[in-house]
Amino acid sequence: MKDSNVQELDFLKEKTSYFSKKNFIRALKFLIIPGWRDSGFSQKEYEIDKIKSKRKFFRRLIKPLTLIGIGFILLIVFLAIYAPWIAPYTLEYVTNVSKAIDVGIPYTYPSPSHPWGTTAYAYDLFSRIMWGARTAIVFGFLTIIFATSGGILVGTISGYYGGKVDAIIMRIVDFSLAFPTLVIVILFTEMISRELITMLLVFGLFAIPGYSRLMRASVLATKERLYIEAAKTSGARNFKIMFTHIFANAISPMLIRFFGGIGAAILAFAGLAFLGFGDASLPDWGTDINYGRGHMSMIHTTLFPGLFILIAVLGFMLLGDGLRDALDPRLKARSK
Amino acid sequence: MKMVKSKNMLMYIIKRVLVMIVMVFFVLVATFFLTQLMQVNPVLNKMSSDPRVPFIIYLEELERSGANKPIFEKFLIFMSNFFQGNWGTSYIVADGVPVTKLISQVFPQTIELVIIPIILIPIISVKLGISSAKNRNKWQDSVIRGVIMLGVCVPIFFLATLIQFFVSNVLSVYTYGVISIETTSVNSINVYYTNRLTGFRLIDAFLFNDQALLQDSLLHLILPSIASIIVSLAGISRQTRASMLDVMRKDYVRTARAKGVAEKDVINKHTLRNALIPTSNEIVGLVAGLMLGSLFTELIFNYKGMGWYVYAAIRGGDYTVITGMIIVNSIIILSGTLVADILYTVIDPRIVY
Repeated sequence: MKDSNVQELDFLKEKTSYFSKKNFIRALKFLIIPGWRDSGFSQKEYEIDKIKSKRKFFRRLIKPLTLIGIGFILLIVFLAIYAPWIAPYTLEYVTNVSKAIDVGIPYTYPSPSHPWGTTAYAYDLFSRIMWGARTAIVFGFLTIIFATSGGILVGTISGYYGGKVDAIIMRIVDFSLAFPTLVIVILFTEMISRELITMLLVFGLFAIPGYSRLMRASVLATKERLYIEAAKTSGARNFKIMFTHIFANAISPMLIRFFGGIGAAILAFAGLAFLGFGDASLPDWGTDINYGRGHMSMIHTTLFPGLFILIAVLGFMLLGDGLRDALDPRLKARSK
Repeated sequence: MKMVKSKNMLMYIIKRVLVMIVMVFFVLVATFFLTQLMQVNPVLNKMSSDPRVPFIIYLEELERSGANKPIFEKFLIFMSNFFQGNWGTSYIVADGVPVTKLISQVFPQTIELVIIPIILIPIISVKLGISSAKNRNKWQDSVIRGVIMLGVCVPIFFLATLIQFFVSNVLSVYTYGVISIETTSVNSINVYYTNRLTGFRLIDAFLFNDQALLQDSLLHLILPSIASIIVSLAGISRQTRASMLDVMRKDYVRTARAKGVAEKDVINKHTLRNALIPTSNEIVGLVAGLMLGSLFTELIFNYKGMGWYVYAAIRGGDYTVITGMIIVNSIIILSGTLVADILYTVIDPRIVY
């Protein structure tokens, strides 16, 4: 059976053997029997379709706005990686009050020694923004990785088992959605500590319910498919079904949400830092806006960090939107 | 048939309300312990205004305020008082004022701040969604989507600060405190304006025909409203655009066009009414987002509503005020969800619970 298939494929590659006797019978079959499909030809068609759909996906993904988004993200990542080379002052000079006061005075206009002026405690604004990119990127990525992995775990278990487990988990999810999240995160950070890792974990923890709802809905749709039933009949264990069969097929809505989630996390973190509950030992953009807020004549101390938050969030949101347009089957149908 | 449906509906509402009560109870317990475990010392915060206070007075104050009691004793006292209507007394932000009274005075301010965006945002964003869907893939569509995208991405505190800068330094319309003397006094809860009845300044101004108060209140609401509206346009307009595009492909819209209905009627009667059904779900998210956003706008524009007091209470460690305000906030969000679910059945009669 397998050998014959290979033969057929080989024949399809060679154009010269089109008019052989075997082929003639095939052509006859194709003409006479309604709905008859050549197995070798179908395979070829399938391969071509696969390449086509890959190309289609990229064509849908590569749009001007998505490219702009990727450009913004690359800019921010570049700043985060090369901050020590770009920034004129080291990390100590932009977080330590006693060191910063040696090299300048608080709230000045741009000057040769301070390209974008200084902000509170004589911190150099340009260096602070460059170093702040690190905080934003680390926070955004790690929070969403934590939240998505938690959401996948909870959502898959809850959606797959159903029944009592599902009911209990969903009640907990509903309960956590009743809280005003930002205020609760503030309370948690005040309770434990204001370090970045605490904020990251608490933010991630409170993002899990939303993600697990999404994953649960996706798992519930996948669970009814025939191949899951086939896997069950052939004696696969629950764990294997959950994390190989269902996981691979239900993951796409989570991927769509991933980059948008990073943008939202950076925004929320900036909000927390703006309120003055950020980690004082790290430079970040929200704290910079908080420093600059009361000084209306020194608007650049508010403007630059705000623009960088905008660029970072816009980059991730645009990429997220582009991914959604490329991957969402509902939108695909609509764009035809 | 209709009777059966309404009976089921009533049962559904009762069930939801019971679940809601349980949830509010859990939120109450969780918030109480979270606030009590914060690393903030309210007594020290209060004393720190005067560094010459001797240590013995600090200890006496600890004893008097009950801050040194064991946490579970505090919890029992708080709970037994809470269900008798005594939500405790404020310690830092409004010394000696009962929390219920503080909330009843402060809550109307936030509602006034939030109500204008709640009325305006659905109108504006449905209009934007319609015109974006009508001119799909044209320049109008791109402009509208770009503006909405910027609105999602800009941090509300940055936008509010820029608006403040623009008005105060570029336009020079007013600087701090120039507009009127009442401006500063009306905004504080300790100073009562005359003709106070409901606590809502706009309503009171209408009831007593107090035009100065009306003008003053409205002027205070303009800038925060602009900031909130720009930031929260996204949800409804995106949903409207998507569902408009969905409905426009339906057969009955084509039929309407074919039989010669005017384009205006096709959009407003045949398409929009069906497209608005999924949009109504977004309103709950809108309310929650605005309540959160008011935390920032109130802080920046120094508008003394719930957000301002929550911030001050967390900073000072005023446990009772934080707990009370979070409870009120989550009751609003939960009942908003319930009302939206009920409205959903009214808008779309096919949905039966």
